[in-house]
Parts: sequence; structure tokens; C-alpha cells
Amino acid sequence: MVAVVARAACLLGVGTALGLAVNAARGDGVSLRAFSAPSACAAAPAPAARTAGVSGATAAVEVLAPTAAADLCRDPRAVVVDVRSPAAFAEGHVAGALHLPCAAPGGAAQAAVELLAGRNTLIVYGRDTAEALPVAEELRRRAGRPDLRMVVIEGGFPRWSAASLACSSGPCPECGLPHE
Amino acid sequence: MRPAARIAGAFVLRVGVGAVLVVAGALKLRAPSDLATQIANYQLFTAAAPYLAAVLPAVELVVGLAVLVAPRPWRAGAALAALVLFGLFEGAVTTAYLRGINIDCGCFGAGGGPITWVTILRNLLLMAAAATVLWLEAGGRFRREIRAVAPGAVP
Repeated sequence: MVAVVARAACLLGVGTALGLAVNAARGDGVSLRAFSAPSACAAAPAPAARTAGVSGATAAVEVLAPTAAADLCRDPRAVVVDVRSPAAFAEGHVAGALHLPCAAPGGAAQAAVELLAGRNTLIVYGRDTAEALPVAEELRRRAGRPDLRMVVIEGGFPRWSAASLACSSGPCPECGLPHE
Repeated sequence: MRPAARIAGAFVLRVGVGAVLVVAGALKLRAPSDLATQIANYQLFTAAAPYLAAVLPAVELVVGLAVLVAPRPWRAGAALAALVLFGLFEGAVTTAYLRGINIDCGCFGAGGGPITWVTILRNLLLMAAAATVLWLEAGGRFRREIRAVAPGAVP
């Protein structure tokens, strides 16, 4: 039995050494030290950021590429809001997102605004960019906080999902917002 | 089990286990950075994701090839290594499924599909196949030692 275990350990060791060597040799190998998980909060500047054409001279709504938005999403001071239908939300959503569809009652938007206490970033997404922008603008207006960073995920959930970024499924028991 | 049936059964299971590992390793080799992202999405060992992405494809290829073509004394070791790998994969996908994390399993690189109960069942079957190969390829002494350690756990 010892021999079998030793051979298994040897094979795993050879594979590990070979993998590290191949990774170091190839140009497109994964960067062992500089790799950052997509959901890590680096609060990094957003290279793909551009401001959306929303009204008002105060803080505008930023439209960020999914990978750039993912850098913000694990920040405990960030809130992620999904504005799609309940069925689409239950099928799959950004991990930890609250559900606030456009059709939700007005009280739901106010409840979401109250959840923003102590938070400094609001990330909104929908089926696409256009679906999320009105909700983001409405929340920005209701919150009335110029320090609140408003972000919309460019391309919505399809782009997020296509980038293999973290998602969850099921209802939203923690958000306390009305659902159908 | 009769020797002929045992040899044939070991061969079929060995080809299946080895082929799955070789194909999975080869597909994962194509985009190591994407694989690191997929591993990080499991939210288990995020800091280790780039290292796992670097070594996992080669480990799968080495173990898979050993299961397929190595001399007999090494095949039992390769089957044990495959059992360890499938066990780790099973643990990762099961915890992701139970936590409701809807992610790509990354089992065969990009496009492996989301984690479902089918993924969990598939890994269980692969574990059973690797354990059977280990049992059939190991010598009589190995089996006697296993019986001594866990009497009644194996035939």
C-alpha cells in the first residue's frame, strides 16, 4: 500500500512541477503573483469607464465593463442591484445582488435607498445597459447623495455571465424587497 | 471475479478514467487565465486559484496518461491519484451547488456548463471507476492490507 501511495504522490508531484514549468515557459500563462480574482475588491480605477448620458450636474452614472464592475462588487460598502424580472433573477444573478425590478412598487425603491446607508457604491444591471440606466438614475435621485458612486454594468447580466464572473441562483431572501 | 473478466473490466474502466483526465487536462491547457477565473469563482481558495490553474491541467494529463499507458505497478498509483483528483473536484462542485453559486464548473475548460446534480453524479461515477481500477490493478498484498485496515469495507 505504501508503494501505491508513493507512486500516486510521485505522479501528482511530477504533474505539479510540469505544470509550473509549462506555465512559466508559455507567453499566455497565468500570472501567479499578479492574478486578481474577478470578485476581489480592488477599488481600482475603471479603465473602461465612461459616463452615461444622464441628467443632472451631480455624480453621474458610470457604465463599466463587467470585469471592471466585478472589481468593486465584493467591497462591503458596495450594493449590487438586479433590475430584471423575477424569473430571470431566480435563474441566475450576480452573487449577492438585491432584486429591484423596474416594475417593483415605489416602496421597494425607497427600501433599496435605505439599504444604501453606510454604503458608497451602487452597482446596477439589467438585461442590457439601457434597462439598468433608468433605475440607476432613479436611485441616484432618491438617494440624494453626491458621494454615492453609481455604476451600471455594461451589457447587463448576459455580458457578466459571458465573462464567467461569479453568479448565484434562487430567490433573494436577504433583500426584503417585494417579489412576485 | 474470473481473471478474463477482471482484465477486461479493468481495461475498459482504465480507458474511461484515463481518457476523461487527458481530455479535461488538454482542454484546460488552452486558456490558463480563464481557468484561474473559473477556479476563483468557486470562492473556496481564491488565493490559490492561479497556482491551481497552472498545475491542474498538467497534473490531469500526467495522471491520465499514467492510467492509460503506464506499466502495471504504476497504474494502481495513477488510479489512486485519479481518485484523489476526482474526490477534490467532487468536494468543490458539491459545496458550490449547496451554496447556490451558479458558476461554470470549469471541468473541461471554458464551456463546461453550470454545476448541477448531474455534475455531482458524474464525478461520483468517476470516483467509483477510479476506485475500481485501483482495486483491480493493485496486487493481492495491497488488497489484503486494505482489508486489514477496513474489514468489510471491500469485497
